[in-house]
Amino acid sequence: MNISNIFKTATLLCAAGAVTLMSGCAANQAVSVNGMAADGHEYLLTVTRPNQLHVIDTETKQVVRSCDVPGTFGTGAVQPSPDGRIAYVLTNGAEDVYGFDITNCDITFSAKQSQNGVKVKTFISLAISNDGKELYTVQNPTRKLNDRYEVLAPRLAVFNTADGLDAKSVRNFPVDRRITKIMTMKNGEVILGGADIKAINPVNGEVRMLSALQNWARGADWIPPDAFAMFTQGEHVGEYIMPYFTIKWNGDPGDMEQAEFWWGMSRIDIATGEVDERETVPFEFIVFNWITDPNDSNILYGAFNQLSKHDLSQNKTVDVIDLDHTFYSINMDRSRTIYIGGTSSDISIHNPDTLEKIGSIQLTGDMSTSDLRIARLL
Amino acid sequence: MKIKKSKHALLSVSALALMGTMLTPAASWATDGETLIQEKCLLCHTNTGNPEAPYSRISQQRKTPEGWHMTLNRMQRMNGLVISSDEVQAVIKYLSDTQGLAPSETAPFRYVLEQKPNVVEEVDPAYVEMCARCHSNARFGLQRRTLGEWQLHVNTHMAINPTTELHALARDRDWYDIAYNDVVPKLAVDYAFNDPAWNQWQAKVKPSLNGSWSVAGFMPGKGDYSAVLQTKETSKDNFSVSMKGHYADGTPLQGEGSAKVFAGYEWRASLTIDGIKMRQVMAAAEDGSSLSGRMYQSAHDEIGGELTAVHGSAVVALSPSAIKQGQQKEITIIGADLKGSVSLGNGVQVVKVLSRDADRVVVLAKATGSASVGMRNVSVGKAKAKAQLAVYDEVAAVQVLPNESIARIGGNGGNIAKMQSTYRALAFSAGKDGQPGTADDLRLGYMQALWSLQAFDEAAEHEKDLKYAGSIDGNGVFTPGDAGLNPERKFSTNNVGNLKVIAQVLDGDKAVEGDAHLLVTVPVFVKRAIQ
Repeated sequence: MNISNIFKTATLLCAAGAVTLMSGCAANQAVSVNGMAADGHEYLLTVTRPNQLHVIDTETKQVVRSCDVPGTFGTGAVQPSPDGRIAYVLTNGAEDVYGFDITNCDITFSAKQSQNGVKVKTFISLAISNDGKELYTVQNPTRKLNDRYEVLAPRLAVFNTADGLDAKSVRNFPVDRRITKIMTMKNGEVILGGADIKAINPVNGEVRMLSALQNWARGADWIPPDAFAMFTQGEHVGEYIMPYFTIKWNGDPGDMEQAEFWWGMSRIDIATGEVDERETVPFEFIVFNWITDPNDSNILYGAFNQLSKHDLSQNKTVDVIDLDHTFYSINMDRSRTIYIGGTSSDISIHNPDTLEKIGSIQLTGDMSTSDLRIARLL
Repeated sequence: MKIKKSKHALLSVSALALMGTMLTPAASWATDGETLIQEKCLLCHTNTGNPEAPYSRISQQRKTPEGWHMTLNRMQRMNGLVISSDEVQAVIKYLSDTQGLAPSETAPFRYVLEQKPNVVEEVDPAYVEMCARCHSNARFGLQRRTLGEWQLHVNTHMAINPTTELHALARDRDWYDIAYNDVVPKLAVDYAFNDPAWNQWQAKVKPSLNGSWSVAGFMPGKGDYSAVLQTKETSKDNFSVSMKGHYADGTPLQGEGSAKVFAGYEWRASLTIDGIKMRQVMAAAEDGSSLSGRMYQSAHDEIGGELTAVHGSAVVALSPSAIKQGQQKEITIIGADLKGSVSLGNGVQVVKVLSRDADRVVVLAKATGSASVGMRNVSVGKAKAKAQLAVYDEVAAVQVLPNESIARIGGNGGNIAKMQSTYRALAFSAGKDGQPGTADDLRLGYMQALWSLQAFDEAAEHEKDLKYAGSIDGNGVFTPGDAGLNPERKFSTNNVGNLKVIAQVLDGDKAVEGDAHLLVTVPVFVKRAIQ
């Protein structure tokens, strides 16, 4: 079917449902970018080995296009721009960043972070300013000297996205070690998720604590949590969410008979900066990532070997199903459809109310550690 | 100091490349290792100006031959070192001889050099969460560095493996600071560059390893063997070797190859035995009276067993090494050039000498019904050995060795072969107190057993691990299942499993059981000479 036929079909469908769907059809018909439905239409973004960025229409569950990413696979971290048009991909052993126009695979931006004998690794840390003009990465540099290595301090690097290809950072500020996922808040600060969760002002480098985890002050009855995430979620409800695991001893540290094992989270509202840090449900099985139900912030969904549903108001897992295989990442579109990806080459699609599998998207390679992000194309 | 038990199954990596190329004609050794270091290494490394430690980052470390080989491999792979394989061998030889480890320094960790699988290490708590969560204790225990070198070693980790600080047991703490400031000073004391053991060993006159050796060993699937090992030094520290002997069932064993000795005692040989390429990794006793270590298949280093070589004519071992009161059975006395009458001790009569070969004497032995329970000295002519034969009343307990083990799925069209695991049944009688498992138990040696598998626990039973994870043969050799996702299984999981290996030793009309734990897991994707 050629392009004009697609438009014809869409027009006929709109005419058939004109009474109830007129406004929607008018908007969809009017707003498209390079033939792709826009006006907030949602696309799933992920990366597969050997190194392709895939753009998937959440409505049709079809791959719209696949863009070849330069360099060897990195971690598959992806950051969409605020207008959904550009997908920034971490590549080449987690050293370089490329920006792709998802409507045509054009490369609009690139930054080679390793320069002049300094090797820079970015552990998935990609974020973008609210106006799309600045890209943030956390750089972990080491310098190779003639017969030894030097370990340099990590830093937040700020790039101007308008600098296009071979961009260089325009500002740098020191940050903690061991930072993984980062996200920009509405006030412009960048959330730095590491052992503790902090926020940095990317204009002047000022850092403040949002959620002390490694350094929490709960006393000896709790172990400092193991907070870690390799995947970014939360954009569907405007939040940053960092899962953690901890133990409450209820007595002598190390006494496993008395101990309680808990999952927990630090969930940050990116509009207000409000932090919701608490234990969620008892540790019964591994959950790699959480997402929040947009209709009820007490409901979390988690994925790994199972897809699970948790009610924070009761601190209980309320439903769980086994998955076909292990998955790492989870996300949700505007209609609350759940997508589970990472590890292998298929994205599993689920109903949030029943957790039932309702579809699958087969990709050309393994997603491995790749993100599964939602871009809303304007 | 409290030692925490760390389950660290050391699964041997494949053939040690070291020996594959090392055993090239002797002429290649003429290349001067020190000259090569100056020509090749000083392109990046620098002259320190200190004659005691002339080369930066080199003269401040001591390692095993395998350790130096890994270093050179890394320099080729990551730092642009261009060097021929003969030159690599010359540098390894030079550094192992001049900056090696003394016998007493390698003694606690020989298993890793021998590629011995399924060793459970006892690791100092200070290292459990820092080094030993990725490496064996042997990996760092076989290195000696100055404080500055251990510090730079942490930086190498940060540069080459930058996600080290994101692993579990690292990301929830200030890993780099702890590694650099807390653990490194301890490493510099526990594994110090300046250890007198090395200077003392260097000062000693090294024994000649030339000559004829009486060899006893074990090979999974084949059993005990006896052999005569002939060694001939063709040039300094280079040997041509031949082995000729028998498996306990009489099948002949024959092979030839070559060997090299590092640091005066580290024996590395490559032989083809009955068409199969084998490696020997042994340490010579400081007085040169014996060699001991392990021989294994080059292509499957988990298939191997211990071997001992004693210089000259000696009774090295018996197979089997126990006889029951009132029992008559064949016993093979292992040792080279054994001549003269055979004595198996009080109450054990040599009914008949069945055969005599260069490597063994096979006798029909009978223990009287009233022979006292206990160990017997054995002699053949002038060759004598203490406590080689056990006389027992009944088998009271069986241990399956190794007690903790790992096998790895493989094959199925993939690049990585299956990694088997092999077991032996070690029998004991109860001793005077009549209770097995106590200090006075009498070790009877390895016995034939009937082998079987069970699910290890309820979870393994539920997941049908027994059906998928693999099978064990009559010789105690476990072969794991195929690699890759299995859609028949929950989560399409691989053919991994959690199993119990059961040995049943028959003692008259009684059967005595022992068991061991076996985890069948995924392949090792990164192979190293020292895991």
